[in-house]
Amino acid sequence: MRVYMEFAVKKFQNRLTYRLEFFMGIINTIITVVVFCSIYKALYAGTDSVDGITFQMVATNFVISLGLSNAFSFDEMFLQNKLHDGNITSELLKPVNFKFRMLWENIGEGVFKIIFYFVPAVVFCSFFMELSAPKDAVSVVLMGMSVILGYFVLWQISFIVQTWCFWLFSVWGIMTIKNVIVNILAGSMIPIWFMPPLLRKVVSYTPFEAIYFTPIRIYLGELTGSEILYSMTIQIFWIMVLYLIGDFFWKKGIRKLVVQGG
Amino acid sequence: MIEVKNVKKYYKIAEREKGIIASFKHLFSRKYKVKKAVDDISFSIKEGEIVGFIGPNGAGKSTTIKMLSGILYPDAGEVMIDGFIPYKQRKEYVKNIGVVFGQKSQLNWDLPLIESFELLKYIYKIPEEKYQKNLKKFTELLDMQEFINQPVRQLSLGQRMRGDIVAALLHSPKIVFFDEPTIGLDVVAKEKIRNFIRYMNETEKTTMIFTTHDMQDIEKVCNRLIIIDKGTKIYDGGVEEIKNKYVSSKNIQMLLEDGTKENYAFNVNEVSMNVVMEKLFSRFSIKDISIQEPEIDEIIRDIYEGGISA
Repeated sequence: MRVYMEFAVKKFQNRLTYRLEFFMGIINTIITVVVFCSIYKALYAGTDSVDGITFQMVATNFVISLGLSNAFSFDEMFLQNKLHDGNITSELLKPVNFKFRMLWENIGEGVFKIIFYFVPAVVFCSFFMELSAPKDAVSVVLMGMSVILGYFVLWQISFIVQTWCFWLFSVWGIMTIKNVIVNILAGSMIPIWFMPPLLRKVVSYTPFEAIYFTPIRIYLGELTGSEILYSMTIQIFWIMVLYLIGDFFWKKGIRKLVVQGG
Repeated sequence: MIEVKNVKKYYKIAEREKGIIASFKHLFSRKYKVKKAVDDISFSIKEGEIVGFIGPNGAGKSTTIKMLSGILYPDAGEVMIDGFIPYKQRKEYVKNIGVVFGQKSQLNWDLPLIESFELLKYIYKIPEEKYQKNLKKFTELLDMQEFINQPVRQLSLGQRMRGDIVAALLHSPKIVFFDEPTIGLDVVAKEKIRNFIRYMNETEKTTMIFTTHDMQDIEKVCNRLIIIDKGTKIYDGGVEEIKNKYVSSKNIQMLLEDGTKENYAFNVNEVSMNVVMEKLFSRFSIKDISIQEPEIDEIIRDIYEGGISA
């Protein structure tokens, strides 16, 4: 465990070396949030609420989901690049689990971006926009837990697509499609509240809702008591299912690599 | 220590003819050609040996190294290293080995060298005391004090390579594989690395396998040489022996009294030295004379080109 923590720490340090990227990251997050909020402000056009959803809730949704999706982005070509430049061999020669090493490096990066992109961006936005206050302190803590679970769901989905690089020349195209699907179905483009009932029903059976929407609903107090427990269980369920799928492809891929020689 | 028995590795390569029509055909039906990267190689290496592994490009050196280090399954044959079957017990096995790839780096590009070493300390669970001791010794031996705190991307190739070598040896592995560790380095850097490798072998009794294209590496570092070509082993023995075995032609270079130079090449197996010398002394008035043996480079070249069968 200690060694994986070190991977996270090293990645964190790594990010600190590029100063310009650091400032651009904050600006990037703010711009995305402001653009989306402005569009919805225009759509609301002075109306208090649409289908019982206030503009404040929408703005909060965007700040959290877009902010987090910026913070949770990482190098999804990592595995493919390692495979193409042959550095995967050096990785396999280390007595560490490469998959966990990837995860922890990404966590290090995620923590960095949460602290240095997400938090400043949220603080900045809260000066210019009225955001919904959290229901209470407990729901903030619960949301934090749910955000972490959401991150794992997002990471597993990315990992599954990444492992396809063992069979495909490039996963870039599929990765882009995946990202569009995640952005739409996870509610960081259009809040899930506004989806047609049928689509919303479908999404509730997919892991996408478990990424950002569950934490947001906990934060806003839309879920209570046993509902929170239930949605977190759903999150954990998706993490396990996606893990098994990812592990399946990973093992097959590595097997192919060591048998056919990449 | 290392036992390799009848190891084979064949690759399937998709073959494609030229032209657009052939490209379309290629989409639906593919022809494959089997390339025998390693074709029935056996050898055994004892503890503490430094073995040079040479062969022309594409001879199967890297494939063999990959199978020995456990990242490639052989198609047939057996590999047993220090009680492990590398490709089956990879995770356990890799704790005991170190690998240096001259063409690739395992160091973290953006962080100072020392940070990469720190990470390795955790990866291999090296006890703090041993880590400090090894690090101190290695940095002194390889003159690394001045750049150990610089980010790797700012290092020269020679510095980076020294970093990579230290990275592979920090956990005191029993076996180290070097895949072209001196590629692209200047004479001084090469010398430093060779001395270091020798030193490690002498003091720690580390078993080492060394692939290279630089025969100087082999002459200065290795005590045994394995030559492979087209996937098969064509020579296995001492470095000196190969010279004695193949060096039958000598070249005599003479500086004459009138200042001109004269060369005379002959084969010691065909003509005796006495006869040659008599002839030369009677024909020329010689100021200075030197007798040269062909360089090991030339011997190897002859072997590669099939001039001599080993």
